[in-house]
Amino acid sequence: MNFRQIATALSVSAALTIVPALAEYPERAINMVIPFGAGGATDISARAIAEPLGNAVGKPLIMVNLTGAGGATGSVNVKNAKGDGQTMLFARVGSHSVSPAMKETLPYTLDDFRFVTVYEINPVACAVTPASGINSMEDLVAKVAEGGVSYSSSGVGSLLHIAGAMVLKEFGVENPLEAATHIPQKGGGAAATAVLNGTATFLCTNSSALASFVANGQLKPLMVTTEQPITGFDAPTANELGKPALNQLVGWTGIAGPDDLPDDVATKWEAWMATATQDEKFIKTMTSAGSIITLMSEEEANTFIRGQFEVFRALVDDLGMRIEG
Amino acid sequence: MSLMDNLLAGLSLVASFEVFFALFVGICIGVVGGAIPGLSATMAVALTLPFTFSLQPITGILLLLGVYKGGIFGGCIPAILIKTPGTPASSATILDGHPMAEKGESGRALGMALWASCTADIVSNLALILFAGWLASFALKFGPPEFFALILFSLTIIAGVSGESLLRGALAAILGLLLATVGLDLVYGTNRFTFGDPNMMGGLNFIAVLIGLFAIPEIIAMAWNPVAHLGKPRALGQSKVTFADYKRCFKSIIRGSVIGVFLGSIPGIGAAPSAFLSYSEARRKSPNKENFGKGEIEGVAASEAGNNGVAGATLIPLLALGVPGDVITAIIIGAFMVHGLQPGPMMFILNVDIIYGLFIGLIVSSVFLFIVGSVAIKGFRFVADVPKRILMPAVLVLCIYGVFAVNNNIFDVGVMFAMGWVGYLMMRYRIPAAPFLIAFILGPLLEDNFRQAMLMSGSDPMILIRGPITWFFWVVTIITVVAITRSVVSKDKLGV
Repeated sequence: MNFRQIATALSVSAALTIVPALAEYPERAINMVIPFGAGGATDISARAIAEPLGNAVGKPLIMVNLTGAGGATGSVNVKNAKGDGQTMLFARVGSHSVSPAMKETLPYTLDDFRFVTVYEINPVACAVTPASGINSMEDLVAKVAEGGVSYSSSGVGSLLHIAGAMVLKEFGVENPLEAATHIPQKGGGAAATAVLNGTATFLCTNSSALASFVANGQLKPLMVTTEQPITGFDAPTANELGKPALNQLVGWTGIAGPDDLPDDVATKWEAWMATATQDEKFIKTMTSAGSIITLMSEEEANTFIRGQFEVFRALVDDLGMRIEG
Repeated sequence: MSLMDNLLAGLSLVASFEVFFALFVGICIGVVGGAIPGLSATMAVALTLPFTFSLQPITGILLLLGVYKGGIFGGCIPAILIKTPGTPASSATILDGHPMAEKGESGRALGMALWASCTADIVSNLALILFAGWLASFALKFGPPEFFALILFSLTIIAGVSGESLLRGALAAILGLLLATVGLDLVYGTNRFTFGDPNMMGGLNFIAVLIGLFAIPEIIAMAWNPVAHLGKPRALGQSKVTFADYKRCFKSIIRGSVIGVFLGSIPGIGAAPSAFLSYSEARRKSPNKENFGKGEIEGVAASEAGNNGVAGATLIPLLALGVPGDVITAIIIGAFMVHGLQPGPMMFILNVDIIYGLFIGLIVSSVFLFIVGSVAIKGFRFVADVPKRILMPAVLVLCIYGVFAVNNNIFDVGVMFAMGWVGYLMMRYRIPAAPFLIAFILGPLLEDNFRQAMLMSGSDPMILIRGPITWFFWVVTIITVVAITRSVVSKDKLGV
């Protein structure tokens, strides 16, 4: 046993004797629930931050994919967990702003969670196949007026579902639900395939999900919803098209706990995330996939999520998209 | 660049110890993961994914592909030995594999499974390398109406796996269709049969239903009557597969591989339907039709060829179109993305070295699979010699652990036990489980594609016969249904 091991052993035993008195968070490994399947955008984002975050926390993070029902299964699991910070959730745009805005039957609301941060923004782009002959948003809107236009999504209550309706609405289509048909698919991959094989006319989704199709010339981007253009997407921004309201339409990943998460835990998470998002490898992985790393404080995150939720909610009420059954 | 240049570029990328070692390790992980009931190939791939982030792209992807291929094969080991599919794709292998094990021929069944798997694997890999572009453009012709016609045809498999009574098979299928409706409605997003429980919103977990239906009834039966099996000639898997066996099944293996290649290249179907379709086709064409379901080695060969035939072909939509064909390739596409690779037609130009590297790796993987599989069979074969009274509790523990691990949800374990009792009752009343499973897999596909087709056409049913592909499947469906009806009627006449 060398000096270092002895020192570690001593400090560990010292820590063990002190812990019951202080009970400093985190006492043990933290369960991190990913409410979506392996290999998806949320999963990749979560796995990429896992290593730098684990280093910052100093305790192991147990990454758990708890999938089902568009993220609802995993979200409910965290909602019902004890508010001691031992169980945290990777919150995502679909499960934590679109679904709550749309689904009356959802077994949770935004108030059931305490969002400690949003750390990643994914721009949204709309795309069609080159064979469709549609070259701009104008063409698309004209085609909608002719009829027979449809858009695919990864399911009811997903970002893609509301994005298709919101974009058409912004571009002056009076009643997008009737003018264009929504054809839901099972998952984001299937949604892109549906446009590729002509089942649907267009889709609006995270640029990362479209990047490979655009690079391969299989899909043609019509618009991106961010203020800044996106590398690799030869398409105007929403602002250039005079629709800055669409800036709200972005994907994001954040971290949330149950609503009774204590303040000191939330503060710690802010600090850990500040360290973890500085990690070069993490930044490289995420930006190469088209994400924008922006670390929000708890307050900013809440304003952002609520703001997006309100926009979607208003749209849902306006168009009568609420799901009540 | 010529083919030779590309090959050399690919070779220079894969020709390192690290790459082949990763592939080999992947196959080992896959075989073991697939062989553990409930762990499944999908789980094994998902668990391996994070380890590939720090590897070279080609190394990481080949590691995952190794796990995938190994897992699909490994699934047949528990299917044959303990009547529990290790992975959904191997459910069809149970039909004849387990009866063979009961007859004391587990070694022969496992051997045939390995030979069929490796043969199908080679066929599938060659199809990927030679026909990727052509098959991908064929796959892109599959919209919801084509899917609907294909799935409708696939439902006729039920007749092939119903065993003695078609009526009982249909009953099981209806039950399967019913349970498959649990969860969120695809088009309206409303709850169906969830009884207000958030756990039911995602539908019944497939692995939980699978394990519940096949493994748990055996365990319940064992607990009910712990000495029933004593005196049966179960022992020893010393029997070996012979070349004559392989030769006799060769036609079925090739047919199964081709079915696997076609279904694998179409995104969204997966390996389990392919295995069942291959099995029912082999049964239809076989002179030993009567023996199917009672321990016919050709049945094992056909179903294993059917599911491994998918393994290489499922990369066709992934590489040629950039779309994942099934759950496993959806995970693998994550590995591509993490490394900044964009699967699709351009990859054949931009990253041609990686493509050819993958091809070389895939060819080698068939050989590795044969080696690892042979060793695994030698080891696992002795499971057949473990007394059932000792084996079954161990299986139960593995099942509970595996089903929990799929989604880390204790509710799934409850589903498994509930389905276990359903399966036990079905067993007691001689209602076959396979039609239930097929309906449970195909039911949602049938419904979703039908509704998507109706959305596309504005509820005009004419879209369901919109092109040659749909016509083809409608015609074969009608022919098959007529053939089934005639055989049932003539059987009735003989019976009376």
